[in-house]
Amino acid sequence: MVKSIAQKEFISTLRDRRFVVLSVLVLLLLLAATVVGLYSYHTQQQERDVAQQTVNHQFQNSADRHPHRMAHYGSYAFRPKSSISFLDFGLDSYTGASVFMEAHRQNSANFSQAQQSSSLIRFGEMTVAFVLQMLLPLLIIFLCFSTFTQEKETGTLKILLSQGVSLREIAWAKIAGYGKTVALVVGPALLIASLLLFGRSGFEWHTDVLVRLLLFIGFYLVYFFIFVVLSVVVSGVHQRSSTALVTLLGIWILCCVIIPKASANLGNTLYTTPTRAQMDADVHEEVAKGIDGHNSQDARAEAFKKELLQKYGADSLSQLPVNFDGIIMAVGEEQSTKVYREYFAELTDIFQKQNRVSEWAGFLNPYLAVRNLSMGMAGSDFPHYLHFQNEAEQYRYHLAQSLNHIQTTRLKYKDKTTRLSADTWKELAPFTYEAPPVQWALGSHLISLVALFLWLALVCTLGLRLIDKIQIA
Amino acid sequence: MKFALEARQLKKQYQDKLALKGLDLQIEPGEIFCLLGQNGAGKSTTINLFLGFIRPTSGAAYINGLEVAANPIKVKEYLAYIPENVMLYPNLTGLENLALFSNLASFDYSQEELMTYLVQAGLPGEAAKRKVGAYSKGMRQKVGIAIAVAKHAKVLLLDEPTSGLDPKASNEFSELLLQLSANGTAIFMATHDIFRAKEVGTRVGIMREGELVDLLGTTELNANELEKLYLNYMHA
Repeated sequence: MVKSIAQKEFISTLRDRRFVVLSVLVLLLLLAATVVGLYSYHTQQQERDVAQQTVNHQFQNSADRHPHRMAHYGSYAFRPKSSISFLDFGLDSYTGASVFMEAHRQNSANFSQAQQSSSLIRFGEMTVAFVLQMLLPLLIIFLCFSTFTQEKETGTLKILLSQGVSLREIAWAKIAGYGKTVALVVGPALLIASLLLFGRSGFEWHTDVLVRLLLFIGFYLVYFFIFVVLSVVVSGVHQRSSTALVTLLGIWILCCVIIPKASANLGNTLYTTPTRAQMDADVHEEVAKGIDGHNSQDARAEAFKKELLQKYGADSLSQLPVNFDGIIMAVGEEQSTKVYREYFAELTDIFQKQNRVSEWAGFLNPYLAVRNLSMGMAGSDFPHYLHFQNEAEQYRYHLAQSLNHIQTTRLKYKDKTTRLSADTWKELAPFTYEAPPVQWALGSHLISLVALFLWLALVCTLGLRLIDKIQIA
Repeated sequence: MKFALEARQLKKQYQDKLALKGLDLQIEPGEIFCLLGQNGAGKSTTINLFLGFIRPTSGAAYINGLEVAANPIKVKEYLAYIPENVMLYPNLTGLENLALFSNLASFDYSQEELMTYLVQAGLPGEAAKRKVGAYSKGMRQKVGIAIAVAKHAKVLLLDEPTSGLDPKASNEFSELLLQLSANGTAIFMATHDIFRAKEVGTRVGIMREGELVDLLGTTELNANELEKLYLNYMHA
């Protein structure tokens, strides 16, 4: 029974010209977004690869320098784009692409797409995720809004029911029929996207990418299913197609426009971030309380000096078996890093709290839940950005301390003239970045994951209970 | 005896309106029962109660001996329903519509069998393969009849089925009802058409304000007398 009605819905929809026009439009948009996204991904990834190789080469082939001068010369970490970020740019366009890694200070990532593009980017980008999150639900609404109301208006529902079919069976059949129709629109686009992803030259096969892509598709299928069930249920409880359409469009506006904006604003209001200037001033003040590696006459450095001389039983710093300049640099670096990390942790905590508001809002709205999961699988969300930022910071600290160690062990106290050759810099491994695995990404979005599946359970249980209560006569 | 259709003290109350006031009725297999009455008299309510689309306030409706309210799905095996205006699925052909509805009633007919049912119901063969969206009301009604016939139902519930049909189509429809009746199908037809009721019915009931005010055999009086009687009740 369910199969027959589902097939009827599928065939009827395919024969409906309005559906054909709308579907072709959405399919073309999806394909265009896929191609544009992939092109953009290629260009940016290539730029970053070249830039990373260039700065690594420049660092390792630097002129003869003093190690601490080299620490100030620093290096850059360029964030590689995730393989499937071409499907969902997420925050990538707004977060920085590179971090300058230098001694004494932790920098945040800079040079985002938004900074380098025209203001048009503020209107949002046409990505596959945008089409899937915003436009596909609209297509589903236009497909399904009259599915029950039309049967009531024309009386076919009575004939259907008189054949011995229950309302619930009809509802499931409609859901299956429209599900098949939606798959027909989305399937080719996602298939082409997968072929483009796995078939492109230089692609390194990785199970993680495959799992991320499958989950990405899976989460959207759940999202579409929720909208199909919701649309069928709303159509079921209304008597007229026009009121069902108005209700569904209202739900779409609420879910895809109002709640996302409201939750973002609420997050910003509840958890305010300090201004860049304020944070810089606070960090500077805090760092100044510690040892200044550049000033060995500093009072705190003086105390440390005494402690060290006592430890080694030496009368002067030149008698120490190690270079005091290097040690004081290392201690200063340790202290300033601690301060920077504390401030960055506080700032990150505020950002995470702001994001958490949107994540919890996923319980009110499946759009937000799928948006977070989509960005998570695409590796273009805030946790992935933060992961890169932390890795870059770990490397920066390691690089600075390695150079301090070189100064401590290979140069003498007060020696500011010796220059070390490029061979020394080649000993230092360049920055490499590996994105976290998919289970880490899922763990970062547990709230959204629960919210999405709760929505699924809710529409399938409560929604279909409402279907049972449809007034026939 | 097991009646094809039976109502026992069947009542339906809608908020402040008593739509059906304790209907008692028995219809035997092969009988054509025509229910006459003005709009709002309770004819459609009676049909909806037999179909199980609404629950009775009190009393019970039975189809083939089964209480409708207690067996809403099971009783559908025994009945077929044709509304006043059969609106089928416009994007499907007549054949596809019949195939779908037959399938839902657990009948899996071949294309030839489906075509036979449609032609038997009076639909031209070439029209059966056209989309229903282009059909006239009469043609749609014929597909509706084919759906009912293909179900081999013991009970046929008709809600003003000849309304809007041209005389030729109405006559063809009457002939088909007589054929079904001869095969043992019990037919319950709510109608405004007194002459059709007299022509095909075995018994006629007159309903006013939810009450069956008269019940008579069609052999007892001619069409004019029936009309006069009906009008008397309506103006009483």
